[in-house]
Amino acid sequence: MTRLLRPTALLNLALLLAIPATVGAQTAPARGGTLVVAISADPGHLNPAITTSGATHAAAELLYNGLLGRDERGDPTPELAESWTIEQNGALYRFRLRPDVRWHDGTPFTSSDVKFTFEDVLLKLHARTRASMSGALAGIDTPDDRTVVFRFKQPYAPLLLQLDATEAPIIPRHVYQGSDPQTNPANLQPVGTGPFRFAAYRKGAEIRLARNPTYFKPGLPHLDAIVMRVIPAAGTQVLALENGEVDFLWAVPGPDQSRLRTDARFRLAQTSYHPGGSNCIMTVGFNLQRPLLKDVRVRRAIAHALDREAFLRQVLFGEGRVAAAPISSELAWAHAAGLAMPAFDRAEAERLLDAAGWKKEGEATRVARGVAGVADGTRLAIDFLHFPAFSKYGELMRQHLGAVGIDVTPRPLEPAVFAPTVFKDRNFDTNVISYCNGPDPEIGVRRMYHSSQIGPAPFTNAAAYRHDRVDALFDEAGRTVARDRRSALYRQIQEIVVQDLPYFWLVETPTTRAWAARCGGFRPWTGLFAEAASCKP
Amino acid sequence: MSPRYLLRRLAHVVPAVAGILVVAFVVIQAAPGDPVLALAGQHGDAAYHAFIRQKFGLDRPVFEQLFVYAGNVIRGDLGHSWVHGRPVASLVAERLPATLLLMTSALVLSSLAGVLLGVAAARRADRPTDLGVRLAALLGYATPSFWLAQLAALTLALGTGLFPVQGISDARGAWTGWRHALDVLHHLALPALVLAANELALTARLVRAGVVDALGAEYIRTARAKGLPERAVVRHALRNALLPVVTVIGGRVGMLFTGAVLVETVFAWPGLGQLLLSSVQTRDTPVLLGLFLLVSGAVVVTNLLTDMAYAWLDPRIRYE
Repeated sequence: MTRLLRPTALLNLALLLAIPATVGAQTAPARGGTLVVAISADPGHLNPAITTSGATHAAAELLYNGLLGRDERGDPTPELAESWTIEQNGALYRFRLRPDVRWHDGTPFTSSDVKFTFEDVLLKLHARTRASMSGALAGIDTPDDRTVVFRFKQPYAPLLLQLDATEAPIIPRHVYQGSDPQTNPANLQPVGTGPFRFAAYRKGAEIRLARNPTYFKPGLPHLDAIVMRVIPAAGTQVLALENGEVDFLWAVPGPDQSRLRTDARFRLAQTSYHPGGSNCIMTVGFNLQRPLLKDVRVRRAIAHALDREAFLRQVLFGEGRVAAAPISSELAWAHAAGLAMPAFDRAEAERLLDAAGWKKEGEATRVARGVAGVADGTRLAIDFLHFPAFSKYGELMRQHLGAVGIDVTPRPLEPAVFAPTVFKDRNFDTNVISYCNGPDPEIGVRRMYHSSQIGPAPFTNAAAYRHDRVDALFDEAGRTVARDRRSALYRQIQEIVVQDLPYFWLVETPTTRAWAARCGGFRPWTGLFAEAASCKP
Repeated sequence: MSPRYLLRRLAHVVPAVAGILVVAFVVIQAAPGDPVLALAGQHGDAAYHAFIRQKFGLDRPVFEQLFVYAGNVIRGDLGHSWVHGRPVASLVAERLPATLLLMTSALVLSSLAGVLLGVAAARRADRPTDLGVRLAALLGYATPSFWLAQLAALTLALGTGLFPVQGISDARGAWTGWRHALDVLHHLALPALVLAANELALTARLVRAGVVDALGAEYIRTARAKGLPERAVVRHALRNALLPVVTVIGGRVGMLFTGAVLVETVFAWPGLGQLLLSSVQTRDTPVLLGLFLLVSGAVVVTNLLTDMAYAWLDPRIRYE
């Protein structure tokens, strides 16, 4: 039995007392006040357990808790569960729940709420948790009111990273049992355990939350109320912040950042966490089923031809990092530093294309001379599918690849069309997708490379990459709990895929939160971002 | 206007709206795109997608879906939104007042101001006032409303600090009664002005042209000859000049709704425009069809009202 962490009650108390001392907190947080938060879409409902929609999660996570929370580095912290043990090499997890938690309606929180939430709701309706956990789980036991046991068919590594309010918010059994969780009226009158309780929902306009006076973390929250304002246009959100109408923005567009940064009225902070998807990398995908792109030399040439610093500067206005490995640097333990990623080198790109049989013959675009599966004289022309919001990536692709004789036609497609075109019809040469790694590579990275993930489900293995060794390494990493051994496995995977280049990883795209300087104590790396926030009047 | 005529016209509304619904249904089905994506997000396996499809009947043949939908609509059930998980009728009803307020304000504002400016310009034809109104109207008509909205937010709201840039009320205020009404008016000012700008420009130009035309007519010379004051003369001319204006205003209710979609998005006005936009993006077909039903119904009914106003303005017109 591995005993990773079992904080004593004393340590627990120390942890709780430490919480207010977070980013931007004032020395003595002011009590009271209302925080106005801009959200970019009307969530429709406030039940984060039945959806992975960023709109619902951004608006509703403060009403709930997960079994665990997450600290600034993404590591698990006690929340509804005060301690846990990992047994049988990771095939069994045992959680000890806090004794003093009550639902907003006064009912005590027990282990049966956890079992119900997972079995009847999350594993059916929460797309991420269902996809990663449902096949591996053997059962959930509740030997008593304060103990929950997760039994897996084989060791299951990522569990502790998918128990926060984003991946697995716990909802009340006594409210939801025996109903369809998708249409239960409580989705609009939510009952949670979180730092704030539901007050009002004016559809399309705003959601009002009020302090939970019986929150189980002593002294929290500081604020009396939070208003989530629906403001769809990003530009309007920034204007509303500058005009003093809202206090907190989830994301500031690149061009507005320098203006806000130099304004003493505001504070900015960068984070890779987002309730709709964390640790995202803008990734070019190659359709490996297309003869044009089967030769790794062509893919490598494309990688060499792309100046990723230019993407960082011109598209992201410097907000982010050039990707140094296939796994995000935010997952530091899994990220393989020092890999030989193809560097920007046009001469090398031209050399590789020549060697692959794509010749320059006077015209700007290269033509095939002896390329396997391609008729001689075929122009080296590819399309590039992207969301309309990513049109700048298309422009730079066209420009950079045009310089080495590859003709790129960008095809902007809105998300609802993009997904079936790429994953169902497989009608594309190249594309760009913001692949979010999530809290663990099992959740957001495996789906890009594992051969079982080739299929119509959106945002899976777009390249249709197939590599037995990579499959086996992912499977092994998924059942290896010891982090150092997992790191080594993910490193091997990254070394292979950087050689094979089924994708090319452009830039990591953290987002920038902004808030009024009179407010502080935010924790931008979690969905319970305002749990310890306060505002001076 | 005979009651029989009115009944006959009303009877036309039903097939017109039904036809629009069927066409809309087919067009949405024919358009590429997958509603399941909006529900599943970036993650989710094939089993999850199949489960959602089955839950909403999306695995059934298109004609069966149309048949089921039509049957429900006849029974007065517009269905449930896939994304919101709630009845379409209540989703629309919740947001209708905000849009009605915005559209009505813009329509009243643009009609009144348009007529006043048009008359003022016509009475001083080819003099500086007229040239000013014509130039401003041309600019106003040519400026896209979403751009005008951003400009107004930057200058009138952020620049002067007098107006809010978003919402229908102050997020921190918890007023009721007349104080709340004032707050809403304060928030309404910019979006209504921006939405009215296009229509105002069009109305002003039409009124000006009509009144200039009418002022040159024989009956006006007669009116002036018998010594009527100039105000009464202009009123005579205006009544005739208004005929085409009424037609145009009535016919532009659909356009006004389109403008409202853009203006609502920029000013975060919690109306139908935002709902329409997000439902298109997520392919939330039941909501889209519900909105089409509402808008097409509104356009058909406004056309009827326009025809009735026409008969009232021009006693020579008789509907049988």
